[in-house]
Amino acid sequence: MAQAASGRSRRKKRAEELDLLPVMNLFCVIIPFLLFSASFLEITVIEMSPTEGIGQGGAGTTNLAKSEEELLQPRIIMTTDEMFLGTVFGTIPVCDAHWVEHDGETIRSYDYSALGDELDNLRNELTTQFPSVPVSKIIILAQDEIRYSNLIDAIDTAREYGFDQPGLQVSAAEVIARQLAAMEAAGGVE
Amino acid sequence: MAMKPSQRKVPLLLGYKKNKAIMRGKDKKVTLNLTSMIDMFTILVVFLLKSYSAEGQLITISDSLTLPQSVSAETVELNLDIVVSRDVILVDGDPVYEIGEQLIDGSPIPLLVDRLSDHMEYTLASRGNTGEDMEINIQADVATPALLLQKVMASCGAAGYVTQNLAVIKAGGE
Repeated sequence: MAQAASGRSRRKKRAEELDLLPVMNLFCVIIPFLLFSASFLEITVIEMSPTEGIGQGGAGTTNLAKSEEELLQPRIIMTTDEMFLGTVFGTIPVCDAHWVEHDGETIRSYDYSALGDELDNLRNELTTQFPSVPVSKIIILAQDEIRYSNLIDAIDTAREYGFDQPGLQVSAAEVIARQLAAMEAAGGVE
Repeated sequence: MAMKPSQRKVPLLLGYKKNKAIMRGKDKKVTLNLTSMIDMFTILVVFLLKSYSAEGQLITISDSLTLPQSVSAETVELNLDIVVSRDVILVDGDPVYEIGEQLIDGSPIPLLVDRLSDHMEYTLASRGNTGEDMEINIQADVATPALLLQKVMASCGAAGYVTQNLAVIKAGGE
């Protein structure tokens, strides 16, 4: 009876369908909630070590009883023309400053990969010659005009080689030039 | 004599074939195919869950400055905020010092030291001296000269904020 004249069943096989409406409702609630609480820009911090002239010691104080670690801590010296790495083994010229285009602005920059190479060599030297002294502090000695972004780039490069406690010292061009000249006279600059 | 509008209920369909087709499948339930939309939503939910932050944003970045990018992964803590924009220094959102004068040396800025000392006293009075170092977050524009940063940091040090954190945007966009 249920069969048609042709002998084929009229009943069609219908595929079972899932009711996706509750899932849709759930998504419609979840997506706005997540959109509001999502943070697409992650803010982190760089903890700066107190240095002479910045910390509690007061400006220009010199602690005569310096620890071994303090004596070994390197300095990245950034002037408007050049960058040096001051170490216990001597002061090494790293690179010259150059100008780059960034966001439509011409800014001063340095060769941070060259700085990385020098820091790598220094780390190897320190590990070989002073294996018992952990050196993680580094001073960024910058000329007063140096851009903040350049300081952060130098800190980042130093961090890669285990110098993760940066301190900042800023001096006028003449003071840094005098210091470098004194190092050169003493045979410190290679 | 005005003509009355027709009382016949005729569906507004163009073409008799459409009318016939609808009449034939009158009892059929029309369903949307939501599978592709569910796929898209699932991808969206996974992406948003990845960038979900349970603690929220502890620092509000000022519109007047651009923070530098860094590889540092140290998490930011809720501390007093100093914003060093191109023309003014703000403490906790209040303008304290206008950067218009020629910067001479890296000595502390008296106005800033006073404001920070007041804040320090208030915090110690309300919270009690726990013996921990007081920390401060410094947000500075990428173009800030090193000397100005030094002055701000020296002011923080003079006011008793020994640990100074420089706020940066984590490089890589994560």
